[in-house]
Amino acid sequence: MPLTLLKEGEPASVRKVGGKEDIRQFLAKLGFVTGASVTVVSATEGNLIVNVKDSRIAIGKDMACRIIV
Amino acid sequence: MVMRMTVKIALAGNPNCGKTTLFNGLTGSNQFVGNWPGVTVEKKEGKLRGNHDVTVVDLPGIYSLSPYTLEEVVARNFLINESPDAIINIVDGTNIERNLYLSTQLIELGIPVIIAVNMMDLVNKNGDKISMEKLSAALGCEVVEISALKGTGIQQAADRAVAAAGKKVRPVVHKFDTEVEKAITSVSAMLKDVPEEQKRFFAVKLLEQDSRIREHMSSLPDVSREIGHLEEIFEDDTESIITNERYVYIASIIKDCVVKNKKRTVTTSDRIDKVVTNRWLALPIFALVMFLIYYVSVTTVGGFLTDWTNDVLFGEIIPPAVENLLESMGCADWLQGLILDGIVAGVGAVLGFVPQMLVLFIFLAFLESCGYMARVAFIMDRIFRKFGLSGKSFIPILIGTGCGVPGIMASRTIENDRDRKMTIMTTTFIPCGAKLPIIALIAGAFFNHSGAVAWGAWMIGIAAIVSSGIILKKTKMFAGDPAPFVMELPAYHMPAAGAVLRSMWERGWSFIKKAGTIILLSTIVLWFFMSFGWIEDSFSMLEADQLDSSILAKIGGAAAWIFTPLGWTQAGEGWKMAVAVVTGLIAKENVVATFGMLFGFAEVAEDGIEVWGSLAAVMTPVAAFGFLAFNLLCAPCFAAMGAIKREMNHIGWFWFAIGYQTLLAYVTAMCIYQLGTFFTGGGFGVGTVVAVLLVIGFLYLLFRPYQATDSLNMDGGRLAKAVK
Repeated sequence: MPLTLLKEGEPASVRKVGGKEDIRQFLAKLGFVTGASVTVVSATEGNLIVNVKDSRIAIGKDMACRIIV
Repeated sequence: MVMRMTVKIALAGNPNCGKTTLFNGLTGSNQFVGNWPGVTVEKKEGKLRGNHDVTVVDLPGIYSLSPYTLEEVVARNFLINESPDAIINIVDGTNIERNLYLSTQLIELGIPVIIAVNMMDLVNKNGDKISMEKLSAALGCEVVEISALKGTGIQQAADRAVAAAGKKVRPVVHKFDTEVEKAITSVSAMLKDVPEEQKRFFAVKLLEQDSRIREHMSSLPDVSREIGHLEEIFEDDTESIITNERYVYIASIIKDCVVKNKKRTVTTSDRIDKVVTNRWLALPIFALVMFLIYYVSVTTVGGFLTDWTNDVLFGEIIPPAVENLLESMGCADWLQGLILDGIVAGVGAVLGFVPQMLVLFIFLAFLESCGYMARVAFIMDRIFRKFGLSGKSFIPILIGTGCGVPGIMASRTIENDRDRKMTIMTTTFIPCGAKLPIIALIAGAFFNHSGAVAWGAWMIGIAAIVSSGIILKKTKMFAGDPAPFVMELPAYHMPAAGAVLRSMWERGWSFIKKAGTIILLSTIVLWFFMSFGWIEDSFSMLEADQLDSSILAKIGGAAAWIFTPLGWTQAGEGWKMAVAVVTGLIAKENVVATFGMLFGFAEVAEDGIEVWGSLAAVMTPVAAFGFLAFNLLCAPCFAAMGAIKREMNHIGWFWFAIGYQTLLAYVTAMCIYQLGTFFTGGGFGVGTVVAVLLVIGFLYLLFRPYQATDSLNMDGGRLAKAVK
């Protein structure tokens, strides 16, 4: 399911990152790669604060829904 | 002759990992460090403390060496083209896995790399352990433990880097999957004219099909066979394969070198974020924080200091003192006039804002460096995105309600070029502190003190920002969605007092400098134009009541026709409005003072109560409201224009911004006057037709469909600029 649907505080691992090449690469550099474990710290209308690889990333809905966990 | 060896060391690392702090520590420089990613956009150079033969270069914070953002292009070009003698790679120990991704790329460059693991105190506090020896062995380069903030270990890191400089590089020890390694080896063999130690870097880049690497290569071997082979085996594109391989390798290192404290699940930062970014609490908390800041800096502490500066320092102390001094020196009248009425009054009016701004700057620097600002951008993003701006645009506009200059400067944190330019152009639409006297003047003189005027002024400002956001987004220049919002949120920390004060001073000083240069100059010119003129065909200095004959009146008179469609020239006094607009460019609060002088009152209260009668006689209320709108929207004061020029960093864009603002102001004021006059029974004329056409044109620009864009590039604008 897309990251936007993940419950707060529930750990999950990234299965796939979709979207255009450049956006995918950008997310990969921030740690969103297949197998990375992610936790949603807080969610507001689909905009998320996510813990991934020990860093805290704020990510907009349009990007978050491309990350499949 | 003794040859002095000069060494160049580059500092590279992820955004917000402490690079600039380390740079300051190593060079004794004092660059301000904000606690959000992307503070350093250009590289900065300094000499190593105690060894001036060593140059330290602070590169922008980057996540990788792929050229997706301007920062990465700047850093990569520097590393490849100017090949520094050594790289100190700062790694945030609390976030080592992500940080090592860049490290594996840096190591491939064929330059000695010293890895400096920063923030070890936090790692220890979390109960985690990182083995430096194992890390060093696994990465094949030296690893040192540092604390950039406290300055421990940084000298050692620098010494190791100097020692390693120019030495032969140890071969890269990390290995990817066998198939990937085979491909890298076979591509490396094709690279005849690349130095041995750089072969791996270029081979990997060629496999990743990095489009910009060809700029750095004299000949491009054909690697399509290797790429095709890899893509077939891994069922993925090569760039993703290699990204993945890096993380796989890093994960294998981490397993051996890092022992994580299992118990820790929720950090303090997470707990704070849960509250301040909470769906319901986020906005109220933010509103409260901002209210407190403005309450303290505008009304209490800052207000007190500013009143004191304006009324006492530049009212009762300096002017009489200067006057006495000049009298005692027997100074000529005209020179006294210049110094007192021109320079002291003009520059003093601007400097009067300094204390207030300094108080505001302290708060803002605190918010920036503790990490809250990054959260504010996140909170506001979902609102701002609706009209084409990103959440990061909110901070400049917010600061702009106090003063446009720091507001425009705050736009620097917006990494997307289009979004940043749009923000710079729209920030000054919001009424700043200096525009409040104009609002009070118009409300008092024409509208019986109606609070609706102030409300209307705010609405005009907000409407201008929103509609400009939408209109500009629909032009080719700004087309494309606001960059998708992705921002690393730094851990909260208590900022060092020195850093906050330094930031306050740096920003405050640039404002003071402006007062001493451009504003000083313009007040002299304005004073001259106002004080000299032709009386009975002879050019001479004027008495205070002969203003009508001044050069300024001539220029204003010549320009007044421009404002005829705005209804300012009805009573033949249009030149005074034109002059007021021009003096408003020096500082907006000048508009009221100018009316005071032009209508023959030497001193006016802040709301200009003395001139209400005279003003009401020369303009209709509708024209006056248009006048107010014009002053709110048109080119801001010189100080803010200077900030626009500096932040745009391009003269064409500067003029575009100023032109857009002034055009919008003119059209708005004209439509208000023409349509307002028509609806209040003023008759129908050519002007009404033009105004209606302008409104239709405006609505068309507002509601026409978005332009198709060729790319949804993360950083389209900036990349395009970087390519040029």
